Amino acid sequence: MIELSHVSKQFGDDIAVDDITLRVAKGKLCALVGTSGCGKSTTLRMINRLIDHSSGDIILDGQAIEQYDSVKLRRRIGYVIQSTGLFPHWSVARNIGLVPRLLKWPAAEISARVEELMGLLGLPVDEFAHKYPHQLSGGQAQRVGVARALAADPDILLMDEPFGALDPITREKLQDELAKLQARLHKTIVFVTHDMDEALRLADQLVVMRDGRIVQQGTPLALLQHPADPFVESLLGGLERGLKQAALTRVKDHMTSLGPTLPAQSRIPADFTLRQALSMMLRDHCDRLTVVDQNDVPIGELSLRRIVKEAQLDKVSQRDA
Amino acid sequence: MSLIDALPSPSFKRRPWYPNVVLLCLSVAMLAAAWLLSFVSVAPNRIVSGTTFGIVDAIRWPGAILVSLLFVAMTALACVPSPRHYRAILGLITLTLLLMPFGLMVAGHWLVDPSLPQARLGIGPAYWSVLFVLLLCLVELRLRLGLSRWWPTLLLGGVGVAWWGCAALWLDHLALVQEFQAREQQFYQALRQHIALVSTAVGVSVVLGMSLAMLMRRYQRLQKVAFTLLNFLQTIPSLALFGLLLAPLAWLAANVPTLAALGVSGIGNAPALIALIAYSLLPMVRNTYIALEEVSEDTLQAAKAMGMRTSQRFWQVRFPLALPVLLEGVRITSVQAVGLTAVAALIGAGGLGTFIFQGLGQAAMDMVLLGALPILILALMVDAGLGALADALRPGGQE
Amino acid sequence: MTRKSASVKLNAVSVQWFLPLIWAVLLAVCIVGMPGLESMFRWVETDARQVIYDRAALYELLGRHVLVVGVAAAVTIVVGVAAGIAVTRERGRDFLPLVGQLASLGQTFPPVAVLALAVPVLGFGTLPIIVALMLYGLLPIVRNTLAGINDVDPTIKQAAQAMGMTPWQVLRQVELPLAAPVILAGVRTSVTINIATAALGATVGASNLGDPIIAGIVNGNVAYVLQGALLIALLALCVDSAFNVYQQHLRQRLSAS
Repeated sequence: MIELSHVSKQFGDDIAVDDITLRVAKGKLCALVGTSGCGKSTTLRMINRLIDHSSGDIILDGQAIEQYDSVKLRRRIGYVIQSTGLFPHWSVARNIGLVPRLLKWPAAEISARVEELMGLLGLPVDEFAHKYPHQLSGGQAQRVGVARALAADPDILLMDEPFGALDPITREKLQDELAKLQARLHKTIVFVTHDMDEALRLADQLVVMRDGRIVQQGTPLALLQHPADPFVESLLGGLERGLKQAALTRVKDHMTSLGPTLPAQSRIPADFTLRQALSMMLRDHCDRLTVVDQNDVPIGELSLRRIVKEAQLDKVSQRDA
Repeated sequence: MSLIDALPSPSFKRRPWYPNVVLLCLSVAMLAAAWLLSFVSVAPNRIVSGTTFGIVDAIRWPGAILVSLLFVAMTALACVPSPRHYRAILGLITLTLLLMPFGLMVAGHWLVDPSLPQARLGIGPAYWSVLFVLLLCLVELRLRLGLSRWWPTLLLGGVGVAWWGCAALWLDHLALVQEFQAREQQFYQALRQHIALVSTAVGVSVVLGMSLAMLMRRYQRLQKVAFTLLNFLQTIPSLALFGLLLAPLAWLAANVPTLAALGVSGIGNAPALIALIAYSLLPMVRNTYIALEEVSEDTLQAAKAMGMRTSQRFWQVRFPLALPVLLEGVRITSVQAVGLTAVAALIGAGGLGTFIFQGLGQAAMDMVLLGALPILILALMVDAGLGALADALRPGGQE
Repeated sequence: MTRKSASVKLNAVSVQWFLPLIWAVLLAVCIVGMPGLESMFRWVETDARQVIYDRAALYELLGRHVLVVGVAAAVTIVVGVAAGIAVTRERGRDFLPLVGQLASLGQTFPPVAVLALAVPVLGFGTLPIIVALMLYGLLPIVRNTLAGINDVDPTIKQAAQAMGMTPWQVLRQVELPLAAPVILAGVRTSVTINIATAALGATVGASNLGDPIIAGIVNGNVAYVLQGALLIALLALCVDSAFNVYQQHLRQRLSAS
């Protein structure tokens, strides 16, 4: 559990981070979003003491951060950066095994763990273990970066725009894999990005920053429905908010049971998003879809009206709450 | 609003009193050197090595205290660096440099027995160390104050002239001066020869080197061959090359009368010049080649797109942009040539090296000094002068 | 990497290993068999009574030459690399500009002048030439150490720190291995130049492969000069090609292409 309380950071006369208070619950992914220079990377680096904060308190698992030995602290926290930071003179296997080696794990345990992680990140051991970073593609290199961060099984993972340097297709793939990984491992992740869609996709908790301050924080849905000011709204896509909101909801949560009428031509799997449903309706020029499960068996229906109404209902329910 | 807001935030103070550690160490080192090492040495004549004297014996307490005060002042000023303080330290350094010959004078007055005409004063390690460290301080100050290379060069030039004046007028006891006065004409002639050899060699290798580099850029195959050959040449010790040219040139001089009439012979200027040019070629060619290669292709493309012909592009774009790196090459070559010319003395080419080798042969260290010091100073002057020129001609005025 | 390219690469490296061996063998042959080449030298130098240098055993001279260069190299490497590391650390950064300029200055001093100046302090013999070689050979090493360490990608250093490596571990496991090729290039330049410069030691009583050259110049015996030059050149080529092989080896592990 990470807690920042009235934390500030000043470089000379320049205030990079101005009195932020933030709490990241255990096992949740907290995304820090904002434009360049808003202080999100600085905030991240204060957590593993790469930068020392000027004032305020940072508390990790109940203990103030200053009480930890900084080197030992960093070995307990995973760190992934945009340029991967892989050591070019070490093989993939050696790179991944870095922190376990620093912690003096027995060699057999280290190689077992490396193999496990490579499997987890989709890197076949035979093919990749002995390759060198310059022989990997961008996506492969970043997978190694993530594997390296997870090697010593830390509770906390810090990620600084990890997918920023990748092409959109690879980026999406890795975002998916991270989501799946998180569903399995439940690490406490602090994730910095300037890509709002990425943040909306992955975050349990969204924090919007500007000029070193936190402008708004909350769940992605809450921010989409109730942006605090025009800045946040434009960041969230302005008019596109509706679609982004739809992207966060699953079809199965909004379908109705099969009616007496003939099932619609177009079929959509139950775990797709409402946004994909809307897109399919536009594509197929219809306003009704049949919802199917993994075995392509119809299990429900989804209508355009339902989607729009649901959005309204959501809003109403929020206001009542 | 929590209480924390009421407290003043601890700001990141850039401490203005962060001392300049380098100058601090250097001035303390000078203080230590002045007190711990021997200041001067006095010998009754040329052959016998002298007895050494510390600072107090040499310039007595008033002098010692003055010197110490100077260094302590420098240390104090270095603790609180600011442009004003740096300039003050510069002033103190200049003062110390100007006082140095006076220190020798005073030491000579106190320590040298006037009844012994051959008695001489030798400069001790304390002096050399302080001089060296002062030069280091100058380097550091130049960097901190952001001065161009001209300033310290001028400063040192002025100091040098002042020293020359002092030496000529008042420092008869100094062993160095005595050696010099004994063979003044020889010295000037050696100096002239040295400079002549260096300039000729560098001049020829600049022209040859540039032509060769330009040819190599046009004909790629020539490049590999040329570089291999030049690299090989550099592995031959200079000594050997000088020696190896003796016989062929002697043979040439014997059999081709026109060459002999020109002054070519087995020993002397001819082999020295040829060897010097050979050694100067590699750095010259390599630097010119790289300088011409590294001019931004984008700039040249733009020039081409605007309708400049090849020769115009070369002389108006590529060459001026390559000039600073080229001058660096000339600088490196010249400094190397100054050193190599000293070795050329072994094959009778003259130059300041003659004093070195004669002195070594006679075990007269001050004669060695008479040869070695001017060579060092010459090398440093060439380095500073050409370096300043290169800096001045750099586009954008960067360092 | 396919099987075929791997074996081709292996061949390239092993072929290169032959080169220093060839030079070394040639050197040994010349040392031992110099008298055998008498007829060749007689052809070059017709006047002198003797053409093969025999005032001292050639292998002894070679040994002393290697010793002088080796000692100077060892000291310069330790001092140069240590200085380069020291001024790139947080605490030593103040000294960086000065050390850079100092190393540059060191190469302006002509070795012969330094040699001459070292004699009154250190006497005649091997010590002044070692000092001169040290001073002259310091620049390439310091300059290359500085360049090599500064060229290491700062994000890699930051990642290393973030992983929890101590500054010493970062230096030893990340910075130095990555800077090694550049540093090695500097050492190579320094040693190769020094092998030629060491010949000057013969003028101050340091007996080494420069002896035949000096003797040849003084007596006008070209054969002597040739012998000295030949041996020094072979030594330089041998050492230089050995460095080259090691550099290729290092570069393979870090090749960016």
